[in-house]
Amino acid sequence: MNLDSILNALEIVGHHGNIISTEESIVLSNSLLLLQNENHFRKVYFWGRIFGADKDYYIAYGYVKDALLGKIYYYSTNCVDWGLLPQPTDYAKTLVPLCTTKFIGDPATVIDILIDKEETSLGKVLTGPIVRKLKEEDRLSATIYLINEDACVVPRGALFKRSDGVVVENLNFDGLSALESQEIRCFLHFRSPHQKWNTNLLTRVDYNYAFDFLDTIDTDIPKGCWTIQQCAGGILTLVKSLYWPGMVIYHYVETPRYGFVYFGHGKKILDLPFMLNVL
Amino acid sequence: MIYDYDDYNAAAEDQPADQVEVHPDADVDFVTAKMFLQKCSTLTGDNLYDHLTDVLNKILAERPENVIDFFEEYSRKVKEQRFRPMTDHLEDIYVAPGRYVLAKKLMPLLRPPVSEEGPVMDPEDEDLADMTKNDMLQLCYFFEQAGLGLPRSEMFYILLSMRKLIREEPIASIRFWGKIHGLYKNYLIVETELKEEEYIRRNERLEEEGTQLPDLGGGGDDTYAALEGIAKTQEEEEGEGEGEMNLPSKVPRRLPPPPQAIYEEPLEPPSEPPGIGVNKKVFYVCNEAGDPWIQLPDVTPKQIRVARQIKKSFTGLLNQEIITYPDFPGNESNYLRAQIARISAGTQISPLGFYTFKEEAGEEEEEEEEEEEGGGGGGGMKTSYSENSRYEPIPIRDLVDGSMSFWVHHTLHILPQGRTSWWNPSPPEGEEMDEELGEEEGGKPGVAGPEPETGPPLLTPLSEDASLEAVPPWSVRTSSGILQDYAIAIVRSNLWQGAYCFATQGKIFQNVYLGFGHKYMAHNFTPVPLPPVQQDYPLGPEIMEISDPTGAEEEQWRIDHLPKPPPVKAEGEEEGEEAEEEEEEEDD
Repeated sequence: MNLDSILNALEIVGHHGNIISTEESIVLSNSLLLLQNENHFRKVYFWGRIFGADKDYYIAYGYVKDALLGKIYYYSTNCVDWGLLPQPTDYAKTLVPLCTTKFIGDPATVIDILIDKEETSLGKVLTGPIVRKLKEEDRLSATIYLINEDACVVPRGALFKRSDGVVVENLNFDGLSALESQEIRCFLHFRSPHQKWNTNLLTRVDYNYAFDFLDTIDTDIPKGCWTIQQCAGGILTLVKSLYWPGMVIYHYVETPRYGFVYFGHGKKILDLPFMLNVL
Repeated sequence: MIYDYDDYNAAAEDQPADQVEVHPDADVDFVTAKMFLQKCSTLTGDNLYDHLTDVLNKILAERPENVIDFFEEYSRKVKEQRFRPMTDHLEDIYVAPGRYVLAKKLMPLLRPPVSEEGPVMDPEDEDLADMTKNDMLQLCYFFEQAGLGLPRSEMFYILLSMRKLIREEPIASIRFWGKIHGLYKNYLIVETELKEEEYIRRNERLEEEGTQLPDLGGGGDDTYAALEGIAKTQEEEEGEGEGEMNLPSKVPRRLPPPPQAIYEEPLEPPSEPPGIGVNKKVFYVCNEAGDPWIQLPDVTPKQIRVARQIKKSFTGLLNQEIITYPDFPGNESNYLRAQIARISAGTQISPLGFYTFKEEAGEEEEEEEEEEEGGGGGGGMKTSYSENSRYEPIPIRDLVDGSMSFWVHHTLHILPQGRTSWWNPSPPEGEEMDEELGEEEGGKPGVAGPEPETGPPLLTPLSEDASLEAVPPWSVRTSSGILQDYAIAIVRSNLWQGAYCFATQGKIFQNVYLGFGHKYMAHNFTPVPLPPVQQDYPLGPEIMEISDPTGAEEEQWRIDHLPKPPPVKAEGEEEGEEAEEEEEEEDD
């Protein structure tokens, strides 16, 4: 969500329920500008808010050159003082899905994670239940990494890969058409692609080397883990991830206005296969 | 440009010297280049010269930044535009914009009310629900402070459509309850209380239906009777066979009696009648502001119990089938109603003292009553409360206190049974049930029948709430860190994500739910396992699985049972041996 949208969040993501409150939006739009200036960011964005029991985390990111790989994350608990978010470690990435507690709101807290003997996600056989420690700051960083991997989405054509490999925002993007915006294939994962470079190209007839370098979200399993809804009489498209409820991607049809924002507890809903109806 | 110098020299020699021009000639080069660029493509008929002109024209007109990075894109766009024929006859058909449908739907609501000249009713006689607390634009303002909200226009439409609803339906009070997101559509929900006479009418209708109910329940008995019939004929056939043969033959063997279903369905607690307990409120839903409101059916205890065991996404279509295990009795409208009941019971809260129990008597008695109530642990629970006219706003410092003791529940807790008041499945002596209940809670538990389920009484502070898996049930915030004077308190439920309540420093507070309608689970959802398989027949040697004897064992058995040489034997034993041999043959 860029700076312009922050002040107008009610009309944009209000359809989803959570917004940036009046005071927060005013504080954010100023403090993020300071952050941008200090770090010489080309652009700065509000990423979202993770609810904690005592305090909430506000997350922002900016980039200097590369809009995809060069993202640098900052977090804050009061919208004013921003701290650099550490890089997600492999240790934290494996442990985060096993956390059952909520975020507290203090980045220095260390939580204990009890791992059952039967747990298989660690890739080794456990002889008994074990306890691992994880600092909340690392947990936050890994959670954001996982959300980005799963649920961050941009409309097709919004990002442009230059011939030198740098990904920039497409200044010539003028939005998806009304029909395209109802099609799940026109939304791409905002992450470095997992599939081979030509896989994504070959799925489209009207492929474009500069656009179709990202994975489309229609290959995610199970089918139906994304919902697309038209709001406000069809001028606004909202894409929601059901794995990460609270992640909402908005796009004003036929305008270059798009973005995403997350308001949630930082917990992935793995129960999704039970919740969906058989197609 | 490539020059063929040999040819050129040859040509120059032929020409007179005065016509020799200065070379290279820029004009000629220009013309040649232009001619080359203007050469039409054999495939499309376009030429590069016009295309470049168009592209440069577009770039210069729009003057975008860093255009070199997107040059190809510009070029492609210009080409695409050229494909569109200038005279497209299809364009004559006017395609209505998507918003037209919405505008058409909302326009009847937006028309100013026509002032009727004739039978003007006094507004007070009209007996409409009180809408003074439903100023959605004011709510929108507070929601926005709290970081919640629906778009301003949507709130406005909801307000209008609520006004329409109270004129059409017998509603005594109305409140915006919230929004539940579905896969395809969302639900907007309003909570209403109907007028007394409507509740009475419904109860009467329910009683009429109740008398007819036993007839409807006959379906199950029929199948059972049919099964019994089959068993009986089988028995008769066997009997006939035996009668004919009249031999002690054991082939065919007599079948053991058919298995009897000994499982008895536990008695289903009756639904709470309209206007009581979980059915105290009536809910209306619609998918979008402007759509007609649809009333949700009342909820049954079983629906609540099953809804606790399943987790299913809402689709936005009310008649969607709910396919789960355990089987949910009803479709999505029932599931929605059950979840609304659960969410309401868990998350509807108010500042301490805003509501008080309905008491006509003075303050002192009231307090005594309350104390008794606390001691009784919910016996003969009070189910009604009224607004406290002497409510003093609680300072915000207390409202945002982490202990949450300044907030109380004002909706009854739903017992595990699925009702707010406990129903005794085995009533001890007819009509004395109520008294019995009271006595048991007075300190004589387990006199007769099962232990009654109890929940916290009405208006219990949130500090009493149990936390689930170390997740604190509530989080509280102020809306502002800078402007303390105008800040409002926001309470967020961590168990029902999306349930919020805000309270201003005045007397305004509101509960709202904006979410997916699922309860938080610290561990992931696990469906209820299937019950263990029941046994058809009592366990005995006939149906036990035993490994066959080996050849050597059979031989050993034969040798062991050979008639022994000394003939000093009683006849009985021999007979026994014969019988055994017979059996052996049969086994083969």
